[in-house]
Amino acid sequence: MNLDDLAFHLNEHAGEEGTTFDAVVTEDDILEVVCSDNDEFPIHVTRTDTQLLSVTPLFTTEEVPPENLAELNATLLRLSPAVPLSAIGLQGNTYILFGAMALSTRFEVIAHELEVQAENTIEVLETVERLLA
Amino acid sequence: MGVLRDMFTALKGGANEVGEAIVDANAVRILEQEIRDAENAIGSAKQSLTRMKASEIKLKREIATLNADAADYEKKALAALNAGEEALAAEVAERIAEVESERDEKATEQAALDSEIQKIHAMIKAREKTIAKNKRELDKVRTVQELQKATASVSKNFAATGSSEHRVSKALERVKAKQQGWQDRMEAGEWMTGQEAGDDIDAKLRAKGIGGASGGASDVLARLKAKQAA
Repeated sequence: MNLDDLAFHLNEHAGEEGTTFDAVVTEDDILEVVCSDNDEFPIHVTRTDTQLLSVTPLFTTEEVPPENLAELNATLLRLSPAVPLSAIGLQGNTYILFGAMALSTRFEVIAHELEVQAENTIEVLETVERLLA
Repeated sequence: MGVLRDMFTALKGGANEVGEAIVDANAVRILEQEIRDAENAIGSAKQSLTRMKASEIKLKREIATLNADAADYEKKALAALNAGEEALAAEVAERIAEVESERDEKATEQAALDSEIQKIHAMIKAREKTIAKNKRELDKVRTVQELQKATASVSKNFAATGSSEHRVSKALERVKAKQQGWQDRMEAGEWMTGQEAGDDIDAKLRAKGIGGASGGASDVLARLKAKQAA
């Protein structure tokens, strides 16, 4: 499924709990997905030859007081295995929540994964909120 | 190989201050070129493999024919011997020897060709493995590139909204407020549905003459009659 098709289907889709998506392909060829449950942290979807990547930037290292950095990193490392379907990573100076799916993944599964990622974003941020500036 | 190690070693060396993994465009080109070369090599190997296989099949057929010929002559030689035609049998025996030597030559040729075919097969398999491996390596590089692209494009948004104090906390508050509002509306909706269902039951009860306010003129008349009797 290419990103344009995915955008079309996401805009038509309504999740089990009434979740809807706003999906737009940007000029950089990135699919920006806003989930109705969480419109503050959009998910950016992109693809390689074999996988779909869904990335939610969380915060940058500049938003972490230096004295909290070690505790934050340790918390995130411990948190990552507990978060369903998503992983936590550092990209440049931006902490991200991301998921990877095979290109052959069915649309319903992609939609579910994005919904879960939007939920995970809030949970992860709630957990580390106290360590951020 | 080990593209990721190379990329992240460069990072550790402090080559890049913000800690971006460095995607070496040159390394990507080399990988792509290797994949293309290996694919081309496989293409031509498969062509020659087809040609060789055809020759090998032809040889096998010829060998089978020669074997049949030899067997046929053997029968005839025996028949000649039985008929006491010693000289004729000797002539046939000579022919059998010729046929057998031709067959042995072809068998040697076929064996050589077969081993060549096996080698090419193994070579193709090895190349295919290399291609698959290179493609996986390339995909790792692409993944890093795509992650950078996706993160950068949102990070621009961070900058646009101003990386202000408590940005995350404020955003979380807004999301939660919205979710709460949504939850409240859902509850209100449920309450409404409940009310409507309740009204519905009252209406049903009234229709059956159970509960409800007035029972109509007949009830009033009955009441009046009761008073009169008293």
